[in-house]
Amino acid sequence: MGDILQIALPAWQFAALLLAPLGLLAGAAAGLRRMLKQRSMNGDNPDWSVPPLADAAGTTLFHRWDVRCKIAALVAYSFLVASLQHLAAALAAVAVSVLALVLARSSLARALMRLLAITGFLAMFLVVMPLSAPAHPGDTVLVVTGVDWLGFNLRGLYKALAIAAKGIAIALLMEPLLTTAPLPVTLHGLTRLGAPDMVGQMVLLSHRYLHVFRHEAERMAAGMRVRGFRKRTDLETLRAVANFLGMLFVRSFERTERVFDAMRARGYRGHFPAPAATRMAAKDLVLAAVWLAVGIGLVIYDRIFWDRIFWDQICW
Amino acid sequence: MHISDGVLPISITVGSYAASAALAAWSVRRTRSEELPKVAVVTAAFFVASLIHVPFGPTSVHLLIPGLAGALLGPSAFLAIGLGLLLQSILFQFGGLTALGANALMMGVPALACGVFFQKLKGRSRRRQSLVGGLAGALGTALAALILALLLASGGEDFFGVAKIALAAHIPVILIEGAVSAFTVAFLVRVKPELLAPAFVQGRPRQPELNAPPPEPPDSPAHG
Repeated sequence: MGDILQIALPAWQFAALLLAPLGLLAGAAAGLRRMLKQRSMNGDNPDWSVPPLADAAGTTLFHRWDVRCKIAALVAYSFLVASLQHLAAALAAVAVSVLALVLARSSLARALMRLLAITGFLAMFLVVMPLSAPAHPGDTVLVVTGVDWLGFNLRGLYKALAIAAKGIAIALLMEPLLTTAPLPVTLHGLTRLGAPDMVGQMVLLSHRYLHVFRHEAERMAAGMRVRGFRKRTDLETLRAVANFLGMLFVRSFERTERVFDAMRARGYRGHFPAPAATRMAAKDLVLAAVWLAVGIGLVIYDRIFWDRIFWDQICW
Repeated sequence: MHISDGVLPISITVGSYAASAALAAWSVRRTRSEELPKVAVVTAAFFVASLIHVPFGPTSVHLLIPGLAGALLGPSAFLAIGLGLLLQSILFQFGGLTALGANALMMGVPALACGVFFQKLKGRSRRRQSLVGGLAGALGTALAALILALLLASGGEDFFGVAKIALAAHIPVILIEGAVSAFTVAFLVRVKPELLAPAFVQGRPRQPELNAPPPEPPDSPAHG
């Protein structure tokens, strides 16, 4: 406790402190994107724009786990992780997620894609929070010599890092949760857990037609390109994009009518047949219990042990 | 901008899930139950539309379209947006699974508001519909940005800076969204005006079905 500890730095050191992690992050993101692009060009799945959610052939622990137990345990665990407050516990959660990724033999490329998607949002916290967090007694603030309105609050950085670690931990867990069973099976599990039957069906239908409409949009975009349309920052571009959107809506709404009629002609009466029988064995429940215990352990570690250490200022 | 996992305080996370579930249940009730599959397919179209990027100077922004979704879908818009966000989360990790409730509130509430706004004020002339459509588009994005900032600020004073930046980052999106919505509505007025009638997905009269339960009485079309 005590007063605000101010550490004055020359301007260039302050700037380097701000820009170096940003540069590293941007570089890592750019490298990751390049790598994924190259990999997808060589691979047999060149289109990453709508990633598939099926890697269901494996026989790992996660693939054999009963889908109901898997959803309940992992989602509850995610909420427990989201409630953590300190960096140490959040980093431990990241380690657990990496372990889960390894156990489920998930695709590294897809896990990286997920991280790439949250990079921008988390980077905003990492950049803004140290600069904007108000200084409280006991904080350590780095300031530039002679400039008193700008301070780099280490407590803000610590909070932002904890948020980033939590986000990464939960994002990494999505691969073992979602790709170790086909989407219909996962959704069926969700229904068996008590979600309305309609939710699962609507997700399935949307997911199916997502790809159809994306292809439609690509065809329309290709047509615009061969007619010489290039996107620029002007009103004409906005008008063209708006007409594109309007056309997409008109075509897809009309298609929706036909799809719906076709479904009913084939006897659709409000539900799809169940994809597979689910069987819950004792070991499924044990695994779920273990997983939840890990989550609760993390929260206890976070709230009880870490608090004391943190407030004793050992970490800074 | 979608909220990712672990950002919001746990009470807000759980509370927004509860609020979203209640609104989604209301949205389902306002949609004729046998037409829910249709909402699902329409959701896919909005999902694809939200992937379109518009250049803005050196960078580009992607459309959020809560305003257009509200204008076209009415009360079903909340359901469609929740569904779209769930898909974005599980496919792309845009918005975390634990933050789904907050994200649905952030995009769905503006959509409902814009739906009412558009249907109440659209008038008859083409020019006025396009103008109101543009306003609805801009309003939808502005409301979404405001709710985002409020949600972020719920984390305490350390988050105020981030909330302000997030709000400021939406200003160009609001302008672009307004212009695109105005043009899109103008296009739809010319090409397929019945899409802009109250709630295409729920209100359209259909032929009575063979050996199906009698349709529920349609809800009052005046509301959104």
